[in-house]
Amino acid sequence: MIKEEVMALRGFLRRFKPFELITEEQVEQIHEGTLDVLAESGVKIYNDEALKVFKKNGCTVDFDTKLVRFPPALVEECLRKCPSSFRVKARNPDHDLILGLDHVVFFNFPGRDIVDLKTWESRPPSRQEHIDLVTVLDALPTVHFINNYPYFGYRGIPENMKEMEGAAIRLAHSTKVTMEIANNDIDRFTFRMAKAISTELFANPNTSSPLTCYTDQTNACFLAAEYDLPSMIWDGATAGSTAPASIAGAVITSSAELIPYIVLLQLLKPGARVAVANLALPQNMKTGAPAFGDICVSLHLAAFNQVWRKYGIPTVASSSGVSNSKVIGFQLAYEKTIPSLIAAISGASAVQIHSSVYGEITSHPVQAILDDDIAAMIGRFVEGLEVSEDSLAVDLINKVGPIPGHFLGQAHTRRWWNREQYVTESADRLTYPEWKNAGKKNDIDYAKERMEQILSTHTVQPPLTQSEEEEIEKILHEAREYFRNEGFISSSEWQEYMKTLQEEGRAQE
Amino acid sequence: MKGFVRNMKPLDVLTGEQIEQIHSATLHVLRKTGVRFDSKRALQLFEKNGCMVDHDTNRVRFPEGLVEECLRRAPSRFHVRARNPNNDMVWGGNTIYFQALSGTRTVDLDTWEPRTPTRKEYYDAVTVLDGLGHVAIVPWYTPWFGFKHIPPVMAMPEGLAARLRNTSKFTCAGYSMGCEVFNIQMAQAVGAELRTMMAASPPLTFYEETIDAAFRIVEAGFVLLPTSGCVYGGTAPATIAGSLVSGNAEIIAGLVFAQLVRPGTRVIAQDFSFPQNMRTGAPAFGSIEISLHQAAFNQIWHSYGIPTDGGVCYPNSKKIDYQAGYEKAIIAAIGALSGTNTLWIQGAMYGELAFHPVQAVIDDDIAGMLGRFLEGIHVNDETLAVKVIDEVGPIPGHYLNQPHTRKWWKQEQFIPSASDRLTHSEWLKQGKKDCIEIAKERCEAICNTHKVDPPLTESQEQDLERILKEAREHYRKKELLSAIEWEEYQKDLASPGYPYS
Repeated sequence: MIKEEVMALRGFLRRFKPFELITEEQVEQIHEGTLDVLAESGVKIYNDEALKVFKKNGCTVDFDTKLVRFPPALVEECLRKCPSSFRVKARNPDHDLILGLDHVVFFNFPGRDIVDLKTWESRPPSRQEHIDLVTVLDALPTVHFINNYPYFGYRGIPENMKEMEGAAIRLAHSTKVTMEIANNDIDRFTFRMAKAISTELFANPNTSSPLTCYTDQTNACFLAAEYDLPSMIWDGATAGSTAPASIAGAVITSSAELIPYIVLLQLLKPGARVAVANLALPQNMKTGAPAFGDICVSLHLAAFNQVWRKYGIPTVASSSGVSNSKVIGFQLAYEKTIPSLIAAISGASAVQIHSSVYGEITSHPVQAILDDDIAAMIGRFVEGLEVSEDSLAVDLINKVGPIPGHFLGQAHTRRWWNREQYVTESADRLTYPEWKNAGKKNDIDYAKERMEQILSTHTVQPPLTQSEEEEIEKILHEAREYFRNEGFISSSEWQEYMKTLQEEGRAQE
Repeated sequence: MKGFVRNMKPLDVLTGEQIEQIHSATLHVLRKTGVRFDSKRALQLFEKNGCMVDHDTNRVRFPEGLVEECLRRAPSRFHVRARNPNNDMVWGGNTIYFQALSGTRTVDLDTWEPRTPTRKEYYDAVTVLDGLGHVAIVPWYTPWFGFKHIPPVMAMPEGLAARLRNTSKFTCAGYSMGCEVFNIQMAQAVGAELRTMMAASPPLTFYEETIDAAFRIVEAGFVLLPTSGCVYGGTAPATIAGSLVSGNAEIIAGLVFAQLVRPGTRVIAQDFSFPQNMRTGAPAFGSIEISLHQAAFNQIWHSYGIPTDGGVCYPNSKKIDYQAGYEKAIIAAIGALSGTNTLWIQGAMYGELAFHPVQAVIDDDIAGMLGRFLEGIHVNDETLAVKVIDEVGPIPGHYLNQPHTRKWWKQEQFIPSASDRLTHSEWLKQGKKDCIEIAKERCEAICNTHKVDPPLTESQEQDLERILKEAREHYRKKELLSAIEWEEYQKDLASPGYPYS
C-alpha cells in the first residue's frame, strides 16, 4: 500500500466514495457468473507453454482444442495476489507513475492517422508529425503516461515496424511511462529498448473476444515476468457481436477474458503488477462498426470498475477515449467527456482521453491539448471540496452581511479563489465584447497556439545519451533484419522503408 | 410526461458529517446575521411567526426551530399540472426531468454573433422545444428574453403567451414590474400551473419586487423556486463550502417565507450560482467548480427532503463547439448523477446570453443519454447470459445471430437523433455532416410537422389576448412604455401573421 506516497506524485486523488451503479449483491452475481464461465465454458489459449503452466496449477487443459477451464479457487487466489496499487518507474523519476486505490491518472488514446483540421479527413502522419504528437504528450501535465503508437506509425514504414519505430520515438522524445503491444512478438525487441535506457513500461497482452488468447499476446505475460515489468491487459469486446448484448453479460465476458492472463502472470510471478483496461463497446447494429460514444460505454465502465474494485485490481477506462464524431466539435466533446467523467468517479485508476478524434482512426496534438483541460477539470472534480472552519467562512459571511456587503475585497477571497478554481488553458473564458475584439477565437484556436508554444519550447528532460540512442538504433536494426527474414516485411515494403530511412538520415548499413 | 428514474444511489461528494457542518453553519448565519427583506408585509409576517425583525435595517433573524419546521412542512414530492395532463410531472424522489435553458438572444450559426430574434423565430423555437422528446419543462424567458419590436416591459407576458400557445408542456414565468399579475391570469385561463422563482439578491437580500411577486405566486397556489444566484468570490465566499452556506441561507429564507404565507407550498430549491471569473468579473460559466457546488447542493437538499433544481448547463464558449460540449456534458452528468430533480440543458449557448433551437436539438441527445444512464443496468439470469456465453464459447463463436442479442441490444442502447453515427467512409459519402448539420435538419423537420397538442381553444385564445391587452394598457398608463416603443409595438401587433409571425 502506497497511499501516502500517492499524494506526492502526479495525478489526482479521489476524495469521495466512488459512484456505484449496482448493488453489492449484483457485483457478487457478476462475479459468480464470471467464475462459472471460466470453470464451465473455459477460454481458448493458443500457447502451449501457458497451457503447461495452467495444467500444472490445477486447471483442466485440453491440449488439442487449447481450451482451459479454471477452478474458482485458483482464480480467486490469483486475483488476491495482485497488488491494489503500484509504482511504475519512468526514465525521469518525476514521471514515475502510481496506479491504484483512489489515485486517478489520465493518458492518451491512439489513432491510426492524423486528422486534417480543415477538411477533417485523415492521412498517415509524417515522422516529424509523429514526433510532434509525442512531444506534446510529454509536455501536457495531465498526460500521466503515454499509450503505445500514438499514431499507427508514419509514412514509409512497413506495417510490422510501425509500432517498433513508434516505440523508439516515444522512448527518445518522452520520459513518461509508456506501454508496448505484443503483436507478432515485437515486445521482444521493445522491452530490450526500454531496458537499455533504464525505464519501465507496461506489457500489453490483449484478449480476443470471445474467450480467446492468442500466442503472441500470451507470450507477453512470459516476457513481463522475465523483465519484471507491470502489465496492462486490454479487453475490447463488442457487446452484441463478440460479447452478449446485455451489459451485465458483457461485463462477465470482459472479466472472464482478462482473468486468464492475470492467473498466468500471478503463477509466473506472484504479486506481479497488473491493471485491467476496458475497451468494451456496444455494436452499432446499423453500420456493423462499434458504437463509439454510446451511453452503454459509460454503463459498462461503471459496472466494470465496481466489480474490479472488489477484486482490488486497478482499472483503466479505455472506451472513454473513442467517439463517433469525425470533427473536433460538440459531439466529440460529450461523447468523450461523459464516459471519462463517469469512469473517474466510479473508481477507474486511469482514464484514456487525450488526442483521439474518430474511433481509433484519427488523432491530433491539438485534440490532446483540448483534452488536457477536460482531464484537469475531472481531476479537480474528484478532489472534491474542503469542508473546514476556514472554508465554511461563517465569520466572514456574518461580517459581510447583506447588500451592500460583498466578498471581492476580502483576504479570504484572495486566499481561496485559485485554490478552488481550475482555470482552463485553452478554453474561451472571455465575455462577448472581449471575444469579438480578440477575433472570435475558440478553443481550437487557443489549442493551436499552445501547440506551437510547446513545440517551440519543450525539450525532453533528460535527453537520451548518445550510447542510449545507439543502443536503440541497434535493436531497431536487429528487429528489421529479424522481421524481414521471418517474412513479416515484403520486399516492396522493405524497399520503401530503406528509402525512408535514407531520407531521414538513418540509413542502415 | 415521462421523466427518468434514477435506479441507483446518487453520487455523494460529502460525508454525512460534512452535510451536518454545512447545515449548522447555515443555521448560524440565519440566526446571527439573518436576511434582509425589503417588504413591510414580509417583515410583519416573519415577526408574527417568531423571527427577530429589525425594521430599520429590514433584517430578519430566524430561530432554528422555525427553520427546521418549515423545512419539514415543504412537501418532498409533489405533482405539477401542465396544460396537457399527459405532460404533468411529479417532482422529487429519484425522478429527473430536463428543461430548456434560455438566453437573451439568438445566434447566427455562421458568424456566431448574437442578435435579437423575430416573433416567428420565437414561436418556432417554442415549437421545437415542444417537439423534443426529453424537454419536460419550457421555463421562463425561454427560448429568449424577448423578441424584436416588443417593449422590454411586455417581454415576459408576450413570452409566456407564446409558450402557452405553442407548447402544452409545463411552463414557468418570471416577474418584473408586477407582470406576474398578468402571467398568473394567463396560466389560469388555460388551466395550467406555473412555477416562478424567488431570486435572492446575494448576499442575503430579497428586494421588494421579488417579495411581492413571491406573495402573488404562493397565494395563487403555484410552485415557488427559491434560488440563490450567488457568485462565489463576488457575492458569496470564494470557497465552495462557504458559498453553499450563504446560498443555502438565502434559499432557506425564501422557503420559510413560502411556508409562512401558505403552509405546504410546493417549493423546489435551485442552485444558480457560479464562481467569479477573476479576470473578466463575469461569472465563470462552464467551470468545474459549478459541478462540485451542484453535487454538494443536491446532496444537502436531499437530506432536507426538498426536491432540487441543481444543474444549470451554461457553457462559456460562444460557439457550438468542443468546449461547449464538454462544459455542458460535465455539468449535466454530475447534476444527473448527484440526484437533481430537474436539470437545465436544452438550447443554452454562452452564459445567459444566447439560445439556439439547433443547440436544443443537440442537447436533447445528451438528456436522453444521461436519462438512459440513470436507468442503470439489469442484473438477472437473463442479462448475465451465462448460458448464452457457454453456448457461444471462444472464437469462432459470436453473438450476432443470437436471439438474446436481438432482444437486448435495443433495450440497452440509446440511439441519439442528432449525432453522427456513421462510419468514416459513409460519412465522407454523405457530405461530412456533423451534429450541427444533422440538428439543423431535425429542427426544420420539427418546425414543419410538429403540432402542439392540444392547441388553445378559441375562448382560451380570446382570454390570452384580453389579458395581454390589459397588460399593454396597464404599462402604457404607468408610462413604462415610451411613445417610440408603443409605435413599434403597434406595428408588430398589426402584422397579418400575428401572433405567430
